[in-house]
Amino acid sequence: MAEYFGAAVADIFNTMEQRFIPEGTKGVDTVIGYNVSGEGGGYWRVTIKDGAIKVEKLDAAPTGCAVVLNAKAETFVGVTLGKMDAGEALASGNLKVDGDITILITVLPKAFNKFTPIVKARTIVETMKERFRPDKAEGVAMKLGYDLAGEGGGKWTIAVKDKTCILKEGLDSDCSVVLKMTAQTFVDLNTGKLDGATAFTSGQVKIDGDIGAAGNSAKLFAKFDTGEEKAKGEELISLKCLPAINQRYATGPIMGKWFAGLKEKKLYATRCPSCGRVQTPPREICADCRVRSEEFVEVGPNATVTLVDIVHYASPDPLTGKIRETPYAALFVVMDGAGKDQSFSHFLNPKDFSRIKAGLKVRPVWAKERTGNYEDLLCFEIDD
Amino acid sequence: MSTHKKNRHVGIVGIGQTEYSSHKEHQNQAEMVNEAVRNALADAKITLDDIDCVVHGNMELFEMVHQPDMWHSLGSGAYGKDEFRITTGGTTGSSLVCTADSLVASGMYDVVMAIGLEKLQEGHTTGGITNMADPLWFRHLQTGALTATTATLMIEEFGEERAKKAAMKYRILMDKHACLNPRAHRRFGLEYDQMDDLMNTSPRLVGELRLSHMCSQSDGACAVIFASEEKAKKLCKNPVWVRDHITVHREETFNNFGIERPETTHHYAARKLFERNGIKNPVDYFDVFEMYDPSAWWGLDWLRDFFLLKNDEHLKMLERGDFDLDGKIPINPSGGVIASNPIGATALLRPAEAALQIRGDAGPQQIKKEVRHALASGFGGTLWTVLIMLEKYLDW
Amino acid sequence: MKRVAICAVAQHKCESNIWYKRFQAMLLDVLEDIQAQTGMTFDEDTGVHTIVSNSDDVFDARTISDNGMTDVLGAHYREEEKAAQDGLNALGYAMAIILSGHADAVYVAGHSKESQSESRNMCTNLAYDPFYGRPMGLDYLNVAALQARAYAEKSKLTKEQLAKVVVRARQWAARNRFANVTTQVELGEVMYSPVLCDPIRTLHAYPVSDGAVGFLLASEEKAKEFTDTPVWMTGYGSCMDSYFLGDRDPAGNFALRKAAERAYKMAGIKNIKKSANLVEVMDCYAYQQPMWLEGLGFCSDGKGGKFIDDHGPAQYNVNLSGGMLAGNPLIVGGLYRAAEIVLQLKGNAGEHQASDVTCGVAQSTTGGAGQFHTVAVFEA
Repeated sequence: MAEYFGAAVADIFNTMEQRFIPEGTKGVDTVIGYNVSGEGGGYWRVTIKDGAIKVEKLDAAPTGCAVVLNAKAETFVGVTLGKMDAGEALASGNLKVDGDITILITVLPKAFNKFTPIVKARTIVETMKERFRPDKAEGVAMKLGYDLAGEGGGKWTIAVKDKTCILKEGLDSDCSVVLKMTAQTFVDLNTGKLDGATAFTSGQVKIDGDIGAAGNSAKLFAKFDTGEEKAKGEELISLKCLPAINQRYATGPIMGKWFAGLKEKKLYATRCPSCGRVQTPPREICADCRVRSEEFVEVGPNATVTLVDIVHYASPDPLTGKIRETPYAALFVVMDGAGKDQSFSHFLNPKDFSRIKAGLKVRPVWAKERTGNYEDLLCFEIDD
Repeated sequence: MSTHKKNRHVGIVGIGQTEYSSHKEHQNQAEMVNEAVRNALADAKITLDDIDCVVHGNMELFEMVHQPDMWHSLGSGAYGKDEFRITTGGTTGSSLVCTADSLVASGMYDVVMAIGLEKLQEGHTTGGITNMADPLWFRHLQTGALTATTATLMIEEFGEERAKKAAMKYRILMDKHACLNPRAHRRFGLEYDQMDDLMNTSPRLVGELRLSHMCSQSDGACAVIFASEEKAKKLCKNPVWVRDHITVHREETFNNFGIERPETTHHYAARKLFERNGIKNPVDYFDVFEMYDPSAWWGLDWLRDFFLLKNDEHLKMLERGDFDLDGKIPINPSGGVIASNPIGATALLRPAEAALQIRGDAGPQQIKKEVRHALASGFGGTLWTVLIMLEKYLDW
Repeated sequence: MKRVAICAVAQHKCESNIWYKRFQAMLLDVLEDIQAQTGMTFDEDTGVHTIVSNSDDVFDARTISDNGMTDVLGAHYREEEKAAQDGLNALGYAMAIILSGHADAVYVAGHSKESQSESRNMCTNLAYDPFYGRPMGLDYLNVAALQARAYAEKSKLTKEQLAKVVVRARQWAARNRFANVTTQVELGEVMYSPVLCDPIRTLHAYPVSDGAVGFLLASEEKAKEFTDTPVWMTGYGSCMDSYFLGDRDPAGNFALRKAAERAYKMAGIKNIKKSANLVEVMDCYAYQQPMWLEGLGFCSDGKGGKFIDDHGPAQYNVNLSGGMLAGNPLIVGGLYRAAEIVLQLKGNAGEHQASDVTCGVAQSTTGGAGQFHTVAVFEA
C-alpha cells in the first residue's frame, strides 16, 4: 500500500473513530467529503452529528457535503502529519476546498486527536540494516530469521558475518535461529509496548534453534526509534501571553465633533480654508495645504458607492475579538458634498449583499441608541 | 538645486540574509539578527570592529517588544557603537537603506550596518497591521492589508479574462523566480498550465484577490553594510553604489478610492526620481527591478506606475515575457514579497537582492545579462513608497 | 564639514494629562509655531520635503505611530521617516541628512503621551525579553532604582544632595512656561516623600507627562531663508551598552562616556568644562542628574555628590528648563533637552535665560537604566 511520510491515506481514516473527541464537537452537525487522488487515495465521507462520528469509504466522489477537501495523497498525508503547511498547500493549489472552508478550520482541530503514523513490522525489519552495530559484531557469524504472521507480516533473514549485515526476504534454510510471532507482537516488542521476557514466557514469541544466539542478537542492533522519542526532545514549549495595557485615547475637538455628530445622525467633515477640500472624516489640517481646517460642514448623509470589496477572509475584529461573518461587503463611498477624491469606507448592510455594485446610492444605517462612538454608524444600505 | 548633490558616495560592501520561513522556533529574535549580521560580515570580509554604526528597524508591535533594538543588541553587534532605529511600517527595510546612505554620505560615519528583521510567528500579523488604523475610527473596519479594489479596477479597465490571466501569470512568474532562490520562504513549483485553474479555484480572500495572489508571512532577517567610497574601494572589489533614493508618504486616511483618484506615491516617486536623474525611459535604463509586491494584483498594477507606462503597456510587457528572468526588464528574480515577507526586512531584501544581481553573485536566480542599473522599491503605511537606485559603476 | 543650523524650535507645553487634544492637534500647534517663526513651507520645489518624525509604537499603542501624523508633519507627498528611539537621535539623523546633501532642510517633530496608557511602567516592561526580564517584572523604573543604589554608593550621594537636585529643578521649572510641574518643594519634603521604588522616592521621579516638540534644521545656506539667529548643531554621538544588567557596571557610564567623546570630537571640543556653558541632561530620576554629569565630563568620576554641594549644576547652567524632573514624556525627553539649549543660545529663554551662553550639551537615554545614550553639541 502506498505510504507517504510513513503513513497510508487509509490509516488516517481508519483511525478517525478512535481519535474522535465527542466533547470537541458540541453543536456541530456537518458532513465533510474527501477526494484524495493518486496512489493510496480514494473517496470518504465523514458525518459529525450529536457528538457522534460516521466514517464511510465511498466508491465515487462524495456528495451531499458541506465541504469537500480535494488533494493528492501525498499532500493530504503531509498536511495531516504537519509535515506540509496547509496554508501553503492551499495557496499553491495542491489542496483545494469546495464549499465552506471555515468548517475545516473550526471543526477539525477540535474534533480529532492528532494522527500519528502506525509503525509497521516491515519498517522495523528494514531498518535493521542501518541499526546494525558492527563494533558489537566482532567474531559473530549467524543467521537470524524472522517469521512474522498475520497482517503486515512476512519472512526475513538477517545474515551477520565479518562485521557486516545483509537483509533479505524469505527464510534461509540454514538460519541459526528463527523467531516466530505475529507482526503485531513484533511491533509491540520494538516500540516498548511489550517486554521480551513476558513475550517469550507467555508464548507470544516462539524460538526455533539456538536460544542463546537469539539472546545475543539483541546487542547487535540499536534500538528502533519510533520517532516519538525524537518528537519529545524537539517538543516546542510555546508560551502564549496576551499583553494588555489599557489605553485612554483622546479624540480632541475635531474628531470629537465627528462622534458627537453620529449621535445626532449627522456626518461632519472639515473644509480647508485654502483649497476648499472637504475631508471625511474631519481632521485638524488639510494634508495638501498644510493649513488648519476648523470649518465644519455637514456631508451626506447619503453617498455614492465607488468600489465594493467582498470579503471572504474571516478575520477577527481587533476591538472585540469576534470573527466577522463572511462573506460580507465593505464599501468605498463618496459622501454627498465631500471632495470627489475623498473616499470613505464602511460595511454594507448584509441584506443588500446580492444587489450591491459601484455607482449605487447608499444611506447610513444608525444604531437605535447612539452614544457618540464608532458603533453608532452601523453600516450603509442601498437607498431606494 | 543644492539638494540631491551627495557629499560623498556610498557603496554596499556586504550583504547577509537568513533563510525565510514560518518556522524559526530554533532561534530567538536576537539570535536571528545575529545570523544575518554574521553572514553580512563574512560577505564583506570585515569584523564588527570595522562597523561604526548600526541602523535597526522592524515593526515592534508584531512581536510586542518595546524598543527591541535594546534586546537585539545581543545579536546586532551594536554594543559600544552608535545606533539609530528607524521604523516606517512596511517600508522600514528600504528606509534603513536611506538612513544608512545619509549617515555615510554625511561624513559622520564611514561604515554603517543596516539590519531589518521580523519574527511574525511570535505575534499576530493581521492584527498587527490592523493596529495601524486610528484606534477610534477605522480600526473596527480595517482588515489587515486585504483589499480587492485594485483587482476590481483592473478588471474594469482590461476585461475580466485578460486581467485575471495577467495577475495569475505574474504570480506564477514570481514563483518560478522564487524556486530559484534557496532562501525564499514559499516555493510552490507552479506551472503556467495551472493558470486557469488557480485563478478560478484558489480560495478568495477579498473579491478577486485570492490566496494564491497574496504575500506570505515570514520570519527572517537581513543585514547590509554600507561604506564611504574610500572605504568601500579598500574593502571590496565590487561595491554596489547607492545612487539616489526618494520616499513618498500620503495622508493618514486610505481615501484613494473616490470618484477622482490621486496620483499614487509609486508614480510620484518614479516621476521625481527619474526626472532628477535624467532618466527618460526607465524600462530601457534599468536592468532589474526588485519591487515590493504584496500581492500579484498590486505588483502588476504598480509596474505601470513605476515605469511611467500608459494604458495596457505593462500587461503587454508581461504577456511578451519582458519581466521574465531572461526578459527585457526582469522583475523580482528573488521571487519578491509574495514568496518571502519578513516585514521589517522585506523592504531591505529588495535592494539587497538587487545589489546581489549587480555584483553577479545572486546565485541560481542571477540574471545572465550584465546588470549595471538596478531599481528597488519599498511599500507600506497608507500606501507609501520608497524608491532606490543602485549602480554598478560610479559613472553617473 | 558643512554646518547644520537649527533655525527654530517649538515646544508644546508639557502637562500630566492632555486629554483634550489628540497627538495630531499637539503637533499642529508645534508646526504652526515653527511656520510663524520661519515662514517655512512644504512647497514641492522650494520648501521642506524631508521630515524626521519621532514617536513610539508601544506608548502610542499604534503600529506605525507616525502614519496617523503624516498630515500635521506636512509629509503628504513628501519624505518622512520615524526615528523610534529618544528624539535626540532624530536630530542626529536630520543632521546627517543635511550633511549628506540629500536635503537642505529637515523638519523634525516628535510626540508622546505617557498619560494615554494605564501605566508607563507596563509599556517599558515590554522592553524586557519575554523569557527572563519580563516575567521578573523589570521595567525602566525598577532598573533605574537598581542603578540609583549602585550610583549612590559609588559617589557617596546623600539623601540631602539628591533632594537638592529636585528642589533646584522645581525652581527653574517655575520660570519655564513649557514645564509640567512647577510647584516648589523643600528638602525635607523630597527626602521623605513616599518610596516609589526603593531607593527612588516619588519626588525623585519625573512626573507622568504628555508633550510634543518640533525643530526646523537647515544647511547654513538655506537657514538664511528661515532665521537670523541660527544655532549650530556641531556635534553628535551615541553609544549602546549591554542589554542584561548583570553584564554592565551599573554606575560606570560606559555608554555615556563614549557617546560624549564622539559628540565632542565631532564638535572639535577638547575640554568640555572649558567649552560648554550650558547643559541639559535627561534626568528621569534625581540620581541621574549627577550621574549623567559625571559621564559627560563636567564632574569627576565618583564625585557627583560633592558636585551638587559645590553648586556645580549652577556653574554650568545645568537643566535651566527644569529638566526631565519637571516633567517631559519619555521618547521626546531628548527633544525637550535640545529645545532648551536652542532657546538659550538664541537668547529666547525669557525668564530662565542664562547670560553669555555660547555652547550647550544635550543628553538623552533610550532603554533601561541608560542602556543607550545620545549626546549632541550646539553652538551659537
